[in-house]
Amino acid sequence: MSSNKTSRIGEEIWKTRVDKVNAELVTLTYGTIVAQLCQDYDSNYQDVNKQLEKMGYNIGMRLIEDFLAKSGVGRCANFRDTADMIAKVGLNSDTLKGARIVDISQVGFKIFLNVTPTVTNWTSDNAQFSLIFEENPLADFVELPDDGRAQDELWFSNILCGVLRGALEMVQMQIEAHFVSDVLRGDDTTEMRVSLVRYIEDEMPPEEE
Amino acid sequence: MAAPPRHATMLSISNGDKPAQAQPQTQQTTLPQSPGLRVPSNRKTIYDRHLNRSRNAESSRASFAFLFGEMVTYAQRRVTGIQDLEKRLNEQGYPLGLRLLDLLFYRSTSTSSSALSSSSTSSSPPNRPLRIITLLHLIHGPLWRLLFGRAADALEHSVSPDTPNEYMITDNDPLVNTYISVPREMSMLNCAAFVAGIIEGVCDGCGFETKVSAHNQPTDLWPSRTVFLVRFGDAVMEREKVLERSGVK
Amino acid sequence: MVVYSFYIFDRHAECIYKRRWLPRPTSIVGKSRSEAAPTGLGQTVRSSDDDSKLVFGTVFSLRNMVRKLGGEDDNFVSFTTSQYKLHYYETPTNTKFVMLTDLKSPSMRIALQQIYINLFVEYVVKNPLSPTEHPGGVGVNNELFEESLEQFVVCVI
Repeated sequence: MSSNKTSRIGEEIWKTRVDKVNAELVTLTYGTIVAQLCQDYDSNYQDVNKQLEKMGYNIGMRLIEDFLAKSGVGRCANFRDTADMIAKVGLNSDTLKGARIVDISQVGFKIFLNVTPTVTNWTSDNAQFSLIFEENPLADFVELPDDGRAQDELWFSNILCGVLRGALEMVQMQIEAHFVSDVLRGDDTTEMRVSLVRYIEDEMPPEEE
Repeated sequence: MAAPPRHATMLSISNGDKPAQAQPQTQQTTLPQSPGLRVPSNRKTIYDRHLNRSRNAESSRASFAFLFGEMVTYAQRRVTGIQDLEKRLNEQGYPLGLRLLDLLFYRSTSTSSSALSSSSTSSSPPNRPLRIITLLHLIHGPLWRLLFGRAADALEHSVSPDTPNEYMITDNDPLVNTYISVPREMSMLNCAAFVAGIIEGVCDGCGFETKVSAHNQPTDLWPSRTVFLVRFGDAVMEREKVLERSGVK
Repeated sequence: MVVYSFYIFDRHAECIYKRRWLPRPTSIVGKSRSEAAPTGLGQTVRSSDDDSKLVFGTVFSLRNMVRKLGGEDDNFVSFTTSQYKLHYYETPTNTKFVMLTDLKSPSMRIALQQIYINLFVEYVVKNPLSPTEHPGGVGVNNELFEESLEQFVVCVI
């Protein structure tokens, strides 16, 4: 797949069009958010995961707009062009759809966090894949509470699942994403599993009475 | 208003206020309930990575704005009014201040010892500020640069004889307010209360009991200009006098 | 040139923002309500008016028709009547921007896109006090957005 092209687009946008801040400000701010949630939900980590996902969803919806504005939707008439570039390489429509998700995931995370996750472990129907995060700035400086539960129950970076879900929903793709491993839990990788649920049709205005 | 136990908002020490006994139904595991955390075999843990690794790393400003935005929205749902909201934002900034202080000291020593080799720490202990002015300069300069990539715009001492304990740090265009359009009915709100909390954390961490609040002071040129009012406690002022007399800088 | 009005529709087909600068020629105000009150600058009219629904229906059908005839990548850009010109811009997130101007106006597509990129994204999407979705227009009508839109329309266009 044209992952080279994708990462080049991401790199290009990142370098030229994205206003930057110190990454540590983001890392530490995220840390206080998670800590606050753990406190508010009385260390009910399932609820914390859910709330983080919800926050991510809201962020994703906003992020994609920013991304589209930055990536010069102007010159390309619309986002389908990205997929078109891939289509020209001559892939069938199923892989094309998959490629579009991958594009947005990779470029999106590049712009959100300045990391490019690796795409791997596709299912044969191209409806599921994994994103492996070699780097995860959100988890810098982090150690989970040693309470015997957090490492089994808390997905510290769960906000990222929501970010992806929100972003893709805005471009008419409903997906489901969840972490399957996390370095913070003692795993060797940080891996997110992403599945395509359906493509979203245009909504119609409510019928006139 | 009694301040909540502030350390409770810090994740890494949260086991400190949660005694280990608090687990009646432990999940059945064959492994012995081993103390300590599991670590990845490739040793990607905070202990194995250099603290300065992320020093010059960058993230997107929009990401920060979105994250901060979610924090404000989340806080908004759990509060009753503007003051309450600001208080909560302040409380979320506080632990950040404590941490940033450590980071600042750690870095100020390692850079002063040698310009390039970041790994060697000098033998001289970090310079913890003892006097108010040194502390405020630390906030105005290094802290602001670490957080926002530039120094704050002004540092002033209250001119009123009644309030010698009041200092003002001004930011003409606070990063946290970049995208915030406060509705008229909430015109008092300043989300930079979060930054006020950070300042409070830094001061407290240095042993200066302080209350810090963020206030809108717009000018034509700087519509989101914000003044952080730093009010030191009586004990701090007393100590300041003693230090003054004994000539401590 | 004269800008008559401006609309934003979200992906749920709801009109989330509407602004009118000058009364258009009455013949196109549909069920002419011929408002007695001066439709002054800076006035935000919302929802009670149903011409936004008409506008939506029109652009939605046109956009679909254009795609059907010209292929998925064809774009509906504008149409002209003897009285006014309607300009259209749609983002990949299905947010639709519509502007009505007089006939002398050049293409407003770039202008609409600028409004999306520089005003909508900056002041609505990135505003943490504004919700992510805007049922009933909540959050779009904030001061920064409205003022900048006003400025943009008056000074830039």
